[in-house]
Amino acid sequence: MEIEIISQDNQELVFRIEGVEVSLVNALRRIVMVEVPTLAIEEVLFLKNEARIFDEALAHRLGMVPLTTDLEAITPRGECDCGDHCSRCSVSLTLKGKGPKTLYSGDLESSDPQVKPVLDTIPLVKLQKGEEVELEAIAQLGTGIEHAKWQPTTTCAYKNYPQITIDQDKCEACGLCAQQCPRGVYFFDEKENKIQVVDLENCSMCRTCSKDCPNQAITVEGLGDKFIFRIESDGSLPPWEILTTACDILFQKAEKILDYL
Amino acid sequence: MIPIRCLSCGKVVSAYFDEYQKRVQDGEDSKKVLDDLGLKRYCCRRMLISHVEVW
Ligand code: SF4
Ligand code: SF4
Ligand SMILES: [Zn+2]
Ligand SMILES: [Zn+2]
Repeated sequence: MEIEIISQDNQELVFRIEGVEVSLVNALRRIVMVEVPTLAIEEVLFLKNEARIFDEALAHRLGMVPLTTDLEAITPRGECDCGDHCSRCSVSLTLKGKGPKTLYSGDLESSDPQVKPVLDTIPLVKLQKGEEVELEAIAQLGTGIEHAKWQPTTTCAYKNYPQITIDQDKCEACGLCAQQCPRGVYFFDEKENKIQVVDLENCSMCRTCSKDCPNQAITVEGLGDKFIFRIESDGSLPPWEILTTACDILFQKAEKILDYL
Repeated sequence: MIPIRCLSCGKVVSAYFDEYQKRVQDGEDSKKVLDDLGLKRYCCRRMLISHVEVW
């Protein structure tokens, strides 16, 4: 197996992975999306809600706010012996305000400086003049299997690595494929009178080019053992940590099988 | 109010709505604003384009 990183930052990791089967990359994709835990607000205690929004609707909005997560520091709620919530398995955030104003995710006050909303500008609730809201929100670890709010990724997908073959004997350098491709994969070099593939990895394998080529000169295929894998994080965990955690989980699953043999 | 996240992919689109709305009202082209805000996918872009704030 070979892995080559195409780009990487705190939000997104894109890499090529070669010499693997779909089954492995897909197992990773699924674990990344629904089994890697993150923090999200799970319980909301309302002390006051005079806003024109039901408690449930506001609680749901709060749940969708991504929170920065330190997986080492917090115990998963199923594994904590408190049976409810305590400082080992939970982080408390409070929200308080009086209208007229809009309360944003940045107004959430966390009891743990490591745990805070990833973005401060998420509008949570609008308060008219005199209306007050006061609540305590309990954030806990969970996984996407239980609820999408615990999914650490906003995109996690792979595609087969594209392969484009142009039969030079058939191609008459009409340039139509360069015009038709929606992804800017081709460049028609007018001086050389030749078609060139300039952005292969952007190809979506839509096959517009091969259908439209008047001489059937183009073949577009997806390689079966090479993929482009993209992980976009919601900010709760950096993408590389999401991937390494997913690998650990896959490893633990394999270990469990061995236990029975 | 605008949903916190994109209904299709889950990206936190609401965090950009105030800025989007203000800049479009000030006469900027919405395509340019969406590009600036880093909303690349059409699922996320439609969330902002189509949202009407009713209260
Ligand atoms: S459309 Fe076909 S014939 Fe025309 S330049 Fe492309 S490959 Fe060549
Ligand atoms: S398959 Fe589609 S995206 Fe790929 S090169 Fe052809 S037209 Fe462009
Ligand atoms: Zn506990
Ligand atoms: Zn989206």
